[in-house]
Parts: sequence; structure tokens; C-alpha cells
Amino acid sequence: MEVYFYLRLLSKTGENKRMKNSSKFQWLSSVIFLYLVNQAHGQKRGVPHDLKCITHNLKVWDCSWEASSRINHGTTYEICIVNSSYPCIQTEKTHFEIPALSLAEHEIKISSMHVSGNSVTKFILNERSVSLVPATLQIFNLTADFSTSTLYIKWNDNGSVLPRHSNVTWEIVVLYKEDMEVATIATLNTTLIGKDSLHHWSWTSDIPLECTLHYVKIRYYIDELHFSGQKEWSEWSPLRNISGPPIKENYEVFPQDKVVPVGSNMTFCCVVEEPVLTAQFGSERCSLIRLDNKSVAIEINNITVSPSSGTNVVFTTKSNMYGTVVFAGYPPDIPRKLNCETRDLKEITCSWNPGRPTGLVGPRDTNYILYERFSGRNVTYNRDEEHMNENHQLIFQMIAGQEIYNFTLKASNPVGRSEAVILVDVTRKVYPHTPSKLIVSDIDPTAIILHWHLSGNFANITLLCEIEINTAYSGQELRNITVKGLETSSYRVSVDRLMPYTMYTFRIRCSSENFWKWSKWSNEKQYLTMEGVPSKGPDIWREWSADGKSVIIYWKPLSINEANGKILSYDISYWSEEGKQHLKIPDPQHRAKIQLDRNDCIISVVARNSAGSSPPSKITSMEIPNGENLKVEQIVGIGSGMLFHWNYDPNMTCDYVIKWCNSTRSEPCLIDWKKFPANSTGALIEYDNFRSGTRYNFFLYGCKNQKYQLLRSVVGYTEELAPSVAPNFTVEDTSADSILVKWEDIPVEDLRGFLRGYLFYFEKGEKGTSKIQGLESGRSDVKVKNITDITQKTLRIVDLQGKTGYHLLLQAYTDGGIGPGKAMYVVTKENSEGLIIAILIPVAVAVFVGVVTSILCYRKREWIKETFYPDIPNPENSKALQFHKSICEGSSTLKTLEMNPCTPNNVEVVETRSAAPKIEEDTEIKSPVADGPEEGSDAEPENHVVVSYCPPIIEEEIASAGGEEAGGSSQVIYIDIQSMYQPQAKPEEELEKDSVGGAGYKPQMHLPVTSTVENMIAADGLEKAAGYRPQTHVTAWNLDSPDSPRSIDSNSETVSFGSPCSVNSRQFLIPPKDDESPKSSNGGWSFTHFFQNKPND
Amino acid sequence: MDLRAGDSWGMLACLCTVLWHLPAVPALNRTGDPGPGPSIQKTYDLTRYLEHQLRSLAGTYLNYLGPPFNEPDFNPPRLSAEALPSATVDFNVWRSLNDHLRLAQNYQAYSHLLCYLRGLDRHAATAELRRSLAHFCTSLQGLLGSIAGVMAALGYPLPPQGAEPSWAPRPPHSDFLQKMDDFWLLKELQTWLWRSAKDFNRLKKKMQPSAAAVTLRLEAAASDL
Repeated sequence: MEVYFYLRLLSKTGENKRMKNSSKFQWLSSVIFLYLVNQAHGQKRGVPHDLKCITHNLKVWDCSWEASSRINHGTTYEICIVNSSYPCIQTEKTHFEIPALSLAEHEIKISSMHVSGNSVTKFILNERSVSLVPATLQIFNLTADFSTSTLYIKWNDNGSVLPRHSNVTWEIVVLYKEDMEVATIATLNTTLIGKDSLHHWSWTSDIPLECTLHYVKIRYYIDELHFSGQKEWSEWSPLRNISGPPIKENYEVFPQDKVVPVGSNMTFCCVVEEPVLTAQFGSERCSLIRLDNKSVAIEINNITVSPSSGTNVVFTTKSNMYGTVVFAGYPPDIPRKLNCETRDLKEITCSWNPGRPTGLVGPRDTNYILYERFSGRNVTYNRDEEHMNENHQLIFQMIAGQEIYNFTLKASNPVGRSEAVILVDVTRKVYPHTPSKLIVSDIDPTAIILHWHLSGNFANITLLCEIEINTAYSGQELRNITVKGLETSSYRVSVDRLMPYTMYTFRIRCSSENFWKWSKWSNEKQYLTMEGVPSKGPDIWREWSADGKSVIIYWKPLSINEANGKILSYDISYWSEEGKQHLKIPDPQHRAKIQLDRNDCIISVVARNSAGSSPPSKITSMEIPNGENLKVEQIVGIGSGMLFHWNYDPNMTCDYVIKWCNSTRSEPCLIDWKKFPANSTGALIEYDNFRSGTRYNFFLYGCKNQKYQLLRSVVGYTEELAPSVAPNFTVEDTSADSILVKWEDIPVEDLRGFLRGYLFYFEKGEKGTSKIQGLESGRSDVKVKNITDITQKTLRIVDLQGKTGYHLLLQAYTDGGIGPGKAMYVVTKENSEGLIIAILIPVAVAVFVGVVTSILCYRKREWIKETFYPDIPNPENSKALQFHKSICEGSSTLKTLEMNPCTPNNVEVVETRSAAPKIEEDTEIKSPVADGPEEGSDAEPENHVVVSYCPPIIEEEIASAGGEEAGGSSQVIYIDIQSMYQPQAKPEEELEKDSVGGAGYKPQMHLPVTSTVENMIAADGLEKAAGYRPQTHVTAWNLDSPDSPRSIDSNSETVSFGSPCSVNSRQFLIPPKDDESPKSSNGGWSFTHFFQNKPND
Repeated sequence: MDLRAGDSWGMLACLCTVLWHLPAVPALNRTGDPGPGPSIQKTYDLTRYLEHQLRSLAGTYLNYLGPPFNEPDFNPPRLSAEALPSATVDFNVWRSLNDHLRLAQNYQAYSHLLCYLRGLDRHAATAELRRSLAHFCTSLQGLLGSIAGVMAALGYPLPPQGAEPSWAPRPPHSDFLQKMDDFWLLKELQTWLWRSAKDFNRLKKKMQPSAAAVTLRLEAAASDL
């Protein structure tokens, strides 16, 4: 380092001398040599070396050198600046101070004088080799504001000893905690002003200053432009810490009751001796940060809005609990909708909307100040706790003569402030109070004066007021008026163009002429205007009495706006033979009778009220006779009224009058009248009392020279309805085929329209069963006649049936519909010829048919019998008894059937006549089976067959045979059907009685020989065993019948006759004729064959 | 049962004597001073009513104070609330108190608590809460009057009024400590109301036997005759 210094010194020297001539190089070489020698000596003998100069203020250089301590003691130094007037300095120390030297290089000769010897050391010194190190500072003042955790530092810049205008850089370091961690480092720049000045700096800590110790130190650096030497930082000032935090007895948690903006980051600490166990922020547990041995902290980032009582921060130790409350809220919003207006030009009311809630209440709530810039006055918002939710407003007393106000509303709370500005011309922002004390006074029937009270001083402005005039008659009217503003608050204005004698309702509201807002409406005031003279005479008409001796004057009451007051009476005047006559009719009466006796005169009517009389209404008494006979026209109205048209007549100079009356009323005919101007050609008569279905008479008069002439007479309905009653009809005459009906007219009041015709219905039917209902359905059996000739009063109905009941119904109809009907029941008279014919013809036909049928039946009786009444199929007719047939077929041979189990009886049957042709004639069905026996019989003609029968049957058969034999010539022996079955009954009954054994006869079921079938049948029970059931076991028939080929093949006789004695079914007892018969041996036997044989039986 | 003429006269005399003495029996004399019984009952009822009212108020107010004050297990040390009259007393000490002392302690406690309660009002930020507090204060004032009435009926002098501390705002008091005070005030009120209910119930029971004794005495008088 030292070597470097000297080398640099030399090099700098070299640089400075570069421009000198080379002759000086020798001098330089000698200097280097000298230096090296000195160096060698110094090192060797302890001579001064490492000369180092610094300056604190650029005025004095403080130089020091290194000397060997070994020889330092007792050494005296003499320092001389070569070639300088500055005296040499004698010192025993190793440093000296000299005034700052000029920029040039200076040779410093330091002579060391020691007992061991003297030495001289030379140094070359210039400003560049001098360092500027500012003197160490002392912090002038260090204070702390614990409520804001702010440190305030003050120091003196020693500007008086330092060059003026020098730039100074200050570096301040704040340390905290016991281990002195750096809390912050700050750098400041100032400029020296040539005299001492105090600087200050403040710093706000994140951590409350009470939480732990904070230290501060400072140093600085002078950037003097004119100093060519090295500039260095000053030494650090001695550490200063904050004088003991004012820890109060109960305040262990910091900060206390702090109000912070939402979103802040905060550190809370608890300074207690005992260890803190937990910390809680609101309801949230927090982790502890140890600051020092008795202080812990928690950090809360981005703090949210606190509830109204603040957010609690609680530290808990083993035995105690410490806490604080923090209030986080928003700075006040900019007041919105700031509006200033005056109601009376005495005070200005400014209102605003505070905007977003701050979340801070009570003492931390927003404070408002209304400041007026021109006058410099302000008003403070006085918070009314009871009306906190209402709109915020401040009242500013107006200043006389000032109309323009520049208001600034300043809002502030502990975490911020805001403001809103408004410039107001109060004369344009007048919102008057509600007018009160409304009073009305009369001027005349059409004008009044309105008085009201409006508090305020409006002397400088003109008021615009709106009067609402309301009548029940003409509705609502608004009138705007302007009145000069007054100080006295009492205003009056006249209101004209009113109607006399009318109840008005007045109310008023006001504003300024420079409209801003209407006041509220005043209360309503009702007032009746004065009466006025009736504005016109009453509408009059006159009617002559029937005898033509008097005329009745009618007039209509005046309308409210015409009467202009309460009509007291009507004055009627006319000229008669006795001169001018006067009548006075009190008000409710609107007619007067005048005796004129067909005289023509002018009648005048005036209405009178308390204010005077109306203009007279006049009418002449006589009519102009109508030239031609008037036809009565018929018209129908348009629902609400009647529409009339007439041709324009220039002769009609006054007006047209239509009067009308109810046609059913007695004379005089007058309900009402209506006048129309002379130039009109039509009129719509609308009258509230017009009723549908009522006939009215209308009369149209034209006025010619103040005289009326009847122009048209009309009958009409406003609307036609269906007749209300049925036409009354009677049956005048009844014959066998016609009825004559007669009916009467329906009265006009019941007709309810112009009659268009009748509908006559008639229908045949019994009395009391009238079916003429729902005629509209168009039933075909109801006949209808439409009678459109309304003058027709009778109707003959022809082509009716004699002695027949008819229902009759008659209805009348108008264009309004069909009226109710009257029903009647009539029976036509009897028609005797028809009756006779009606009896004789069916009798004759019946007799004829009976005769023909009898003949036919007689002729065809055989065929009929065979066809419709054939013989019941009978076992007797089967092969077993073929001997009958054999006889019939011409075989005279006696056949005998022998049955072994039975008592043999021999029956000899002799047939002399052949039955073959009859069979062929009766039926063509010839089954092969049926043929079989015939063939068989052919094969064995005249064979003797012995038929074995059980005794009862035989007895019957004999009896029958005897009967037939006796009755007829034929030799055929018929076995009667009844007789065949009669014997069967007995065994059945016996079977039932003897059913215990179960071994009774079961005809076909017992046919199988095999015991299996017998067992089966026995198991089937008695009900199955009883009686004859040929169809029951068809299979049995087919399989095991004795008729089956199998049974026949085996041994027909044995099988057949081995069976029990059959009484129910002899069919199977009949053995085949012989085994040789080819037909019988084939498989043609079946259940159906059995029946096919029947015809052949 | 046959009655003799002597018996009838005896019974009649007995009846007359009883009727003669009836107006003198305090328990039956409804037109005169009814004694402390009804007022004790009334005070007891009022205490129970206030207990009910306080439950509602305390819930609202502790919610207003925020966590941890409204947490069910919150039990802070009684830091700065020493000034509040404590209702907690040793059972034996309580038993040894006489009626006068008992009533005087109640009266004094509620006098103090009422003062503190009125101070509570100025901290409450919401109008609704202030209304509830004002209502409760009125009721508590009524209870104080009732206790004074009972004491007067029993012939006890009221505790000296001069000793009653008037509410004075404390020197700078942190919000947190204020909340602690509020918490303890509500808690002490609750304990006091509970204790008062017990006190007045005891007093009520104590007063009843006197009326019963009158009846017994009456019966005894009748039987003597």
C-alpha cells in the first residue's frame, strides 16, 4: 500500500513534468534515487514513512506518518515545507497539521532527531494525495412517535466549516432487536449552504417501536467538486437508541387502538416477561415471531375490514391475557351527488351521498367539513346518531349579497381524506318550501284572488308558480304564473277565466323563474265562485193539447255551465187576446200550460237566477200544415240511437226539431226533443232512456220563418227483439184430413219489433207426448209452414190422417228473433171408409194365405213330415231289426234272433209291402253301412232270425205291433219311439236305486270286454254310470266297440251276447248277420255311421 | 249427632270470637298493609325476568365485542375489573348473612353495576344495541327500586347514598381493556342476578311461615274456645 502510494506519487509527479524538457529528467532521477535512499534508511533506521494526509474541511490538512516504534520514543521531528514561507514545525508526534496547500506539489522535509542520530525524510505532497474525510457526526436529536411508530432524527451538517455548495450524501441506518439487525438503510442528498443547518429525517417502522429497541447511526460523504483528492465517507456516528419506550402499566400489546387502512400489513407485538403461549387475531390463531427475550410479534397481511367494535388481537400467557384492538377501514369515499340548494334564500343546504362505507364507526367515522372558498367560512358536520342512515347534509348560512358559492366538502377519517367541490349560483338552485295558508277571495263570478304564504326571502328573484284548478265539471287545468319574490312571504294572484257558480279546488306550487325544482303542492282549497246571469235561454218546445184549446210549453233545464247559478224560476210571456201575459214557474217545474184556443202567438221563456235572467227563448204556437199526407215510415236504430237523414231544404231557415215519444203511451206524445241547425241533413238521436224492443214515434219538424212544419213521421225501434208473447191461436175447424187454424194479432208492446211472419209447426203424435221441441233441429217428422204474409190470420192444414192426434205450434217472429210459441193438440175426425178397407183387406189376405197353405201342406204332408219332423233315430231301426226291412223288401222269410241270457221269445214279423221306394224317395243318403244289411238281407233271404228280448220290451213291442196291425193295412210292424224308450226308463230307475252295487248297466261304456275298461268305468262313479251317453266315450266306441272289426272278427256271437242284457242300447246287441258279409267285416263302422243309418231305419 | 243447647251456645260464642278477631289478623287484612311478601315476590320475579333479558343482551353485546369475547370458553383474567362488585362469595359467608346485609349488598351491587352499565352505552356503536342497553338499564333501575321497597317494607335503612360511586370516565383506557371491562360487567351482572334470585327466594320462603303461623294461632284460639 505504501509502496503503491509512493509510486503513485512519483508517477503523478512524472505526469506533471511530462511537458518539461529533458534536462529535468536528471532531477527526477535524482528524486527517485533520493526517495529510494530515504526509504531504505527509513526502514532501516525508523525514519518517517507512509506520510498520509487527510482533511475534514479542506482548510487544514492533517498529515501523519508511520514511524518505527522502536525509535519513536524520544524522537523529535521537524517538518518543513520546502520553499514555503510556512514555518517549520517542531513536534514529537508523528502527525502534524498544516493549512491546505496550493494545488502544486510541495516537498515536505521531515527531520527526525533522535539520540541515535538524525535523519531527514522528504515527501512530495500535493492535494491529490490528500483524502477528504468529513468529520464524524453526532446525531443532534433522536425522538420517536410511538403512536405512529415513527422515528425522527435531527443532525447538524457543519456547513459553516465545509465548502459552500458542496453536495453531501447522508447514509442513515436503523438497527433493531438485540442482535441489531438492520431495519432500514436510507440515503439522503443535501447541499451545503455555508452555514450550519439542521437536517431531519423520519422513518415509520413496520413494527411498533415499543416492541423492541431501535438504534440509529449516520455517516456522510462530501462531494466537493473543486477538491482533487480522494473523497471518503465519514466515520459512523455513535449509535443512538430510542429513549425507553413508554410502556404503561397495562399496555403490553402494541400498537394500541390503531386505525389502519384495509389491506395494510401489520405487526403486533406483546412485551411481557412470561412466555406468550398463543396469539389470536379476531378468531384466527397466529404464529408467533420472537423479537427478543421478552417480546413476541405476529404479522397480519392484507388486513380486512373490522367489525364495528374493531378486531381484537389477544396474546395469552399462562396466567394472563393481553390484547389490543385494531380498526381496519377504508378512507372516505369521494362524496357523491353533492348538491347544494336553498329553500328560502337564507341558508344553503348541501347534501351528499357518502359512497362506500368506511367500516369505521363512532369516533373513527368520517368527519365532514363544508368549506366555502370565497368567504372562507366552513361548517362542520354534526353527526346525529339517531339519523345516521339518512342522507348526509350540512346547512350553510347565506352571506348577504353573495350569490355564487364555491363549496368544498372535505371528508376525512383516520385512514384518509377526500373532497368534492361544487360551484353554486343559489338563485338557480331554489327549491321553495311548500306554500301554505291558501286563501281564496272573490272578484266576480269568473275571477278570484288566491292568497298564500311562502316562507323565505325571495326579494331578489321572481317566483314561478303553478296553480292547479280542478272542477268536477271540466277536469283539471294548470296555469303558470310569475310573481315577484317578496321578503314578507305573503303572495296573492288573481285567477280569471273561471266559470260562475262552480266549485273549484285550487292548489299551488312554486319554483324560481330559473327553474330548479317545484316545491311540494300546497294543501287543496275548495271554493265556489259567485253566480252569474244564465248564459242562454232554455231549450223550449210546445205541444197542443188534444182539444186544441191549450198549448203546453216544455223546456229543458239549463246545464250547469249555462245556468251559472241556481235557477230560481222561469218567466213565460206570450201575447194573447188579452195582451201580454206573464207566468212565473218555479224551478223544478219545466212545463206550463197556456190557454190559447188555437191562436197563433209567440211564447217566450227566460230562466232566472239570483244574478239575473237569461236571454229569452221563443217559439210560435202554431204549426205550418204539412202539404201532403205523410206516410208513417219504419226504421230500425243502430243500437244506441236512431239515425235520420233528410234532404237539404233551403226554405228551412231556423232549425230542425226531432221529437219522439213512446208509441204506446197516451197523448200528448212527447218524451224529448232535439234541435238541429238549419243546414243539417241528418241527425243521430241518442237518448239514454231508449230501450230495445220498444216502439217509438219520431216526428221531424222543419222551421220556416220561426214556424214549425211536420216533415216526417217515423215509427222505429232502436233495436228489435223477438216477440215476448206467443200468438193466440185457435182451431176453427177439424175434418178427417185437415185443420183450420186462426190466430190473433200480438199487441204492439209485446211484439218488440216489426212483425215479419209466423211459423206454424205440426206433428202427428199422442196427446201428452208433444215432441215439437227443438224445432230448430229440423226433424223430418215435424212439418213447418212459414207464413210471411202478416195480414194472414188463418191457415188450413190439409193431407192429414183421420182420427189422428196432431201437435200444433204457432210462433211469431220479427227481425229480432222468433218469439215463444203456443202449442195445441188436435185430433182429426174419423174416416169410416178407410177403416172398413183397412179391416177387410188384411182379413181377406189372411184367409187366402191360410187356404193356400192348407192345400200345400195337405199335398206335401209326407214331405213336410219327413223334412221337418223326421223320426227320431232309433236303435230299433238298426240291423238288429232288419228283419222288418227284409220283409219290406219283399223277403217273406221270418227271422228269429235268439239271445241266450234272456228268456227267448220268438217274434215273427211278416212284411208284405216293400218300403224300398219310400226310402229312396225320402232321402238319397245311402251309406255303405246301410247298404250292407240290405245286401245281407239279399244274401240270406227268408232267414229265420230269432231275436232275444228282455221280457218287458217284448211286451211293449207286441202291444205296439198289435196296435199298428189293427190300425193299418200294412204289415210293417213299427216300433214306436215312445215305446222304445219307455222300457228304458225302468231299468234306469232301478239302476239308480241299485247303484250301490255299481254294477248296473252302463251301456256303451261296458261294451269293451276287457276288464280294464270296466274298472275304469267303475272308478268313474255313479253319475257317469247312469244313463245312456252315446257320445261320451267316442274312443271307446272306436276301439273296443263290439262293432269294431276286431271284435267282429274274433267271435261276434260270443262277444255280443256275452255282454249284459242291454235295455238302453240294443244296437250293440245285434250281431252281424254272418261272418261272411264283406261289408260288415270292413272297417266302415264308426260313430258317424251309426247316425247315418238313421234315415234308413 | 245430637246437639245440646249448651253446645250450640258454645259454638256460637266461638264463631263470634273468631269473627271479632278476624280484622286483627294481618294475613287476612287485605285492605291494609300487605306486608313485604308481595314485594319480595315481585322482586324475585323481576330478577328472573332480568336474567332472561340479560341472556339476550349479553349474546348481542358479546357478538358486538367480537372474538374471542363471544367464544363460549373465553375466560379472561379479571384484569382491570376490580372495581366491579363481585357476586362471588363463600357459601358459608353467604349463609351467615342476615336479611338486612343480604339486601344491602344486593342494593349496593346493583347501584354500582347500573352506573357501569350506563357507561357501556357510550361505547356501543349501533343504535340497536344502545336501545337494548337502555331498556335493560330501565329494568335494572326498576329492580333497584324494588329492592329498596323490600328493605323499606322490612324496616331496614337503605345503604348510604354518598358511598355510591358515580360513573366517571377512566383515564386513557385502551379499547381492549374497555372490552374486558364490558365483558366482566355482563358476567358480574349475570352472577348477581343469579345470586339475587337465590336471596329473594330464601327471603320469600322465610316470610311465608309467619302467615302460616297466624293461621295456626287462629285455629288454636278457636279450639281454646
